[in-house]
Amino acid sequence: MSEWLESAITRAQGIHDWLAPKRAHALDLLAKTKWPTRKTEAWRYTPLRPVERTPAKMISDKVDLSPVAIADLSAIELVFVNGQFDPAQLANTLPEGLSIALGGDLESAQQADALNTFSTIKPERHIFGLVNDALAQDVVVVSVAEGVEIIQPIRISSLLSPGAESHTRVQVSLAAGSRLTVIEDVQAQGDSFNTAFVEYNVGTNARLEHYRFALQTGSNVAIGGSHFNLHDHAKMNSTIVGFGSELSRLDTDIIHAGEFADAKLNAMYLLDGKELFDLHATVEHAMPNGKTEENVRCIVADRSRAVFNGRIHIHRDAQKTLAELNNRNLLLSDKAEINTKPELEIYADDVKCAHGATVAQIDKQALYYLQTRGVSRSKAQVMLNFGFINELIDLMPNAALAEWIRPIIRERFAQMEVK
Amino acid sequence: MTEQIDKALAREYEAGFVSDVESETFEPGLNEDVIRRISGMKGEPEWMLEWRLGAFREWLEMEEPEWALVDYPKIDFQSISYYSAPKSMKDKPKSLDEVDPELLRTYEKLGIPLIEQQMLAGIAVDAVFDSVSVVTTFREKLEEAGVIFCPISEAVHKYPDLVKKYIGSVVPKKDNYYAALNCAVFTDGSFVYIPKGTRCPMELSTYFRINEQNTGQFERTLIVADEGSHVSYLEGCTAPQRDENQLHAAVVELVALDNAEIKYSTVQNWYPGDENGKGGIYNFVTKRGICHTNAKISWTQVETGSSVTWKYPSCILKGDNSVGEFYSVALTRGRQQADTGTKMIHLGKNTKSTIISKGISAGRSNNSYRGLVRMNPGAEGARNFTQCDSLLIGDQCGAHTFPYVESRNPSAIVEHEATTSKVSDEQMFLCRQRGLDPEKAVSMIVNGFCKEVFKELPMEFAVEAGKLLEISLEGSVG
Repeated sequence: MSEWLESAITRAQGIHDWLAPKRAHALDLLAKTKWPTRKTEAWRYTPLRPVERTPAKMISDKVDLSPVAIADLSAIELVFVNGQFDPAQLANTLPEGLSIALGGDLESAQQADALNTFSTIKPERHIFGLVNDALAQDVVVVSVAEGVEIIQPIRISSLLSPGAESHTRVQVSLAAGSRLTVIEDVQAQGDSFNTAFVEYNVGTNARLEHYRFALQTGSNVAIGGSHFNLHDHAKMNSTIVGFGSELSRLDTDIIHAGEFADAKLNAMYLLDGKELFDLHATVEHAMPNGKTEENVRCIVADRSRAVFNGRIHIHRDAQKTLAELNNRNLLLSDKAEINTKPELEIYADDVKCAHGATVAQIDKQALYYLQTRGVSRSKAQVMLNFGFINELIDLMPNAALAEWIRPIIRERFAQMEVK
Repeated sequence: MTEQIDKALAREYEAGFVSDVESETFEPGLNEDVIRRISGMKGEPEWMLEWRLGAFREWLEMEEPEWALVDYPKIDFQSISYYSAPKSMKDKPKSLDEVDPELLRTYEKLGIPLIEQQMLAGIAVDAVFDSVSVVTTFREKLEEAGVIFCPISEAVHKYPDLVKKYIGSVVPKKDNYYAALNCAVFTDGSFVYIPKGTRCPMELSTYFRINEQNTGQFERTLIVADEGSHVSYLEGCTAPQRDENQLHAAVVELVALDNAEIKYSTVQNWYPGDENGKGGIYNFVTKRGICHTNAKISWTQVETGSSVTWKYPSCILKGDNSVGEFYSVALTRGRQQADTGTKMIHLGKNTKSTIISKGISAGRSNNSYRGLVRMNPGAEGARNFTQCDSLLIGDQCGAHTFPYVESRNPSAIVEHEATTSKVSDEQMFLCRQRGLDPEKAVSMIVNGFCKEVFKELPMEFAVEAGKLLEISLEGSVG
């Protein structure tokens, strides 16, 4: 076991609150968990040295930080600063049918509900998920009442000052027939360390539109997870945009716990410098007639490394499942590296499942064509890279977000080219 | 439908007879003395014994691999006998007439064309019966061409320089748990050397068979194709029906020097255990080839037997422009478990690899493809294409795909695709409409599904493989 984990466990033992039984359980499991090494399948390509030597510390003094504004989004802001929920940044009045509160402030019946669902969607195998269970200080519970459509998106931001450590956790529940859009956004400054986990319970016929932006770069360790539980006829559409940092790891788990659920996941990551980004996307089809469509695209430049693991697991009862995973990667430099592993594990016969993975470089002919039209080589490269990613941006349902992210990505490509 | 499946499941293992041949078998157990005895029985030189003991010491430090998607009780390595030789082998037969007729009958039942058919088929067979090579035919003819094809125990004596140079050069002693065990206790196997610029005049073939109860078979095959040579090698495996599980941990090493080509084909039909998963062979095999400049290695396998299969025939594409191929059909039924696939390690420039894998699961079996394609920084312009298709027959089985793709060269192109489906109702309907009974229809559809692989097999093998599949699928209509 690493020193880091030992100190984390010691710190967690000092926390006593409404989550006590869950925290004790997590600590129990952590004590039995081996510190991942290169031989641990889930961490095979992602060494944990940056965690072991992170200088990040918990900062308890109040720091004034607020999330960058996104034009035309008019989101309900749910802000964590260095791991602490900042209620001052939350709107005074929330739309009817939406409640956002600290778990500790809930009435006893609601608190009991929240306690029961806590950590039931996020799988126990994730060592940092357990760390988050044990250490997240302010657990926020978001719930949408039955049949309610919340027009304004909720934006969950986790902000970190330099050298800060934070563990944030949000539980989101969508009652039957409700609709909600959630944006998860981590903005960290140098030398920080964060774990940010959100669990979503998507009720019968409910719809969730989800975005996760991991755009912090530099010497940060960012580990997180978005975990979804889909009931009958539930629909989710998730978009993930990631830039790498010293170590960025994101796990998404989608569980088809009801029939006729529909999940879409579009993920793109663009890495530069010595960055590392590791995405583990797991889909569990536990019930029949589910549908999953995943598109993952990745561009790696310079000395960066991308890891992707896309697992689709069809259980014995999940007949008539349709599941598709498409993973495309562009390798721009001879020092960069791509490790991808799409997995299918299938126990039902009447299903249609497919996955594809490609690794290649920019089409030389396309590059040549643009150059013959007078576009400089570097501009042509940016155009082609952008085109590769833009196909997924075009699929983002929220236009304001797509407009916001496009120039950020273009800027990223321009920076890659300068080197 | 269930009736038909039941019928299919009840089908008996056709090669499951036990030959009554007197044999000399070691007491179960594994220690340095056993290894010394094996080495002593073979009259091996000192270096070979040292090599074995070195591997054994490494093995003691190693842990059994647990990453494969297979589930079986822990193997007690002390309860296995590590040497078994038919007694009548003390005086080695000089010709086929001297071979124990009981042995010949065994082969006959297996349908190995050892005598006349042999001539017609033009196949030289080095038949391994338990642990000692029984007879090697057509040796003279091969010698004329300068080809060496003999038991590896003999090669150790006759061609020590070649063996010393190449053994363990592709699969190092401590490569993995079972390879290390094999290095320590291997009893026999085949050695092939094709001299420079020679095209081997016939297809070489070995038939392995585990006969003695409680024995493990640890054979070792080493094929060296010198510059510009060509060889096609066939391997078939069968084992008798027994209640207990038997271990088969083989190592196959292929060396294709510049411009050489090796084609290695396997039809594996070890006893798969009964319908409740009792008995059957644990087939834990390490197969790997190294390709030098412009060389080519092609693996083709048809896997229908064994209760547990753990096998990844691989290519190290070291030389520029070298080519690796892997064509596989794996069929599991009953409670069989197969975890098989390949590794293509691209080191040289413009190296190419193709992987075609077809998995068919029926009954309560589990069938996994596990593969690795690695493009190293030096693999300029390298290319890989992988296609893995799985077919499920029945709702109690599983089909899985675990491909690893690692690329560190921007000019390399890797493509992987996998699909999983069942025999579609439309296909069945069409065939039935044309008057085919369901069984024939399934067999035809499966045959079509596997066609890409079968066409890579030498003709005699392709026929055998097709038949094997047909028998295995009998009645599994779903």
